[in-house]
Amino acid sequence: MENNEHINRLTDEALNSLDGAGRATPKPYLLTRINARMQNEEDSSWDIALKFISRPAVALAGIALIIAVNAMVVSYNYTQKTTTVTDEASYASVEEYSSTATVLNDIENSEP
Amino acid sequence: MNQPELIVQLQQGDEQAFKKLVDEWQDMVYNTAVGIVQNEDDADDITQDVFIQVYQSVSSFKGESKFSTWLYRIVISKALDHVKKKKRKKRFAFVQSLFGTASEEEIHPEEFNHPGVLMENRERAAELFKAMQQLPDAQRIAFTLHKLEAQKHQDIAAIMNISVTAVESLIARAKGNLRKTLQAYYTKNNN
Repeated sequence: MENNEHINRLTDEALNSLDGAGRATPKPYLLTRINARMQNEEDSSWDIALKFISRPAVALAGIALIIAVNAMVVSYNYTQKTTTVTDEASYASVEEYSSTATVLNDIENSEP
Repeated sequence: MNQPELIVQLQQGDEQAFKKLVDEWQDMVYNTAVGIVQNEDDADDITQDVFIQVYQSVSSFKGESKFSTWLYRIVISKALDHVKKKKRKKRFAFVQSLFGTASEEEIHPEEFNHPGVLMENRERAAELFKAMQQLPDAQRIAFTLHKLEAQKHQDIAAIMNISVTAVESLIARAKGNLRKTLQAYYTKNNN
């Protein structure tokens, strides 16, 4: 019984131990530390970007992408050129055919 | 400079306004953080994190709640994240301890002495803080804000985004749980 009272008293003391407690305060020069950390974070974000780019997998993927884009551009240009050449050739033969046809018509018409 | 002016200047990126903000609120931020994480170095890191976040996201503060409410929410969120990370680390340390590679400090952290507690109450307060670690997050936050920051129930309700009745219930349950834990502890140790 006495023991229970003792335990209850200790419990109450613990529960009330924060009464009258003051605020804990941070170490001095907090603002300086915050500014330094913000500066570090700014620097490290560039570091992170550079590290990411210089990873072998990322670098190889980048090179592969550049080569692929170049290849696509070259093949597109080549296709365009071939089409133009074919078109020019077909125009030429059409013109030739039509002029030959006109000459034949003229000959047919001129004979009695 | 009053508070709305200070906030407007902060939103414009004024460094003097930021200095004033840190001067004015650092004790509140640190005291709340230290009450939750129960470690002075960790609380210092969290305090820095909080002010950096405030600096970066003050433009999103629309003034719908009090500035102090907004700030308390940031501190609590960061402190709880930290507690969760530490718990994960502790579990990992326990697994490591099975292989004998974890440090003693990671498995059994030192007891916490809040620097603001009166000298004669330090021992009992350390036992109370230990018991507080076992409370669910909501009870722990409500009890910490009530006891360490002397916040009114209405203000705690605004910070936690719950009703005043819910806050009263949380504090009552926290006290009940703490009483049980402390009684068990004193019965076992009987000092």
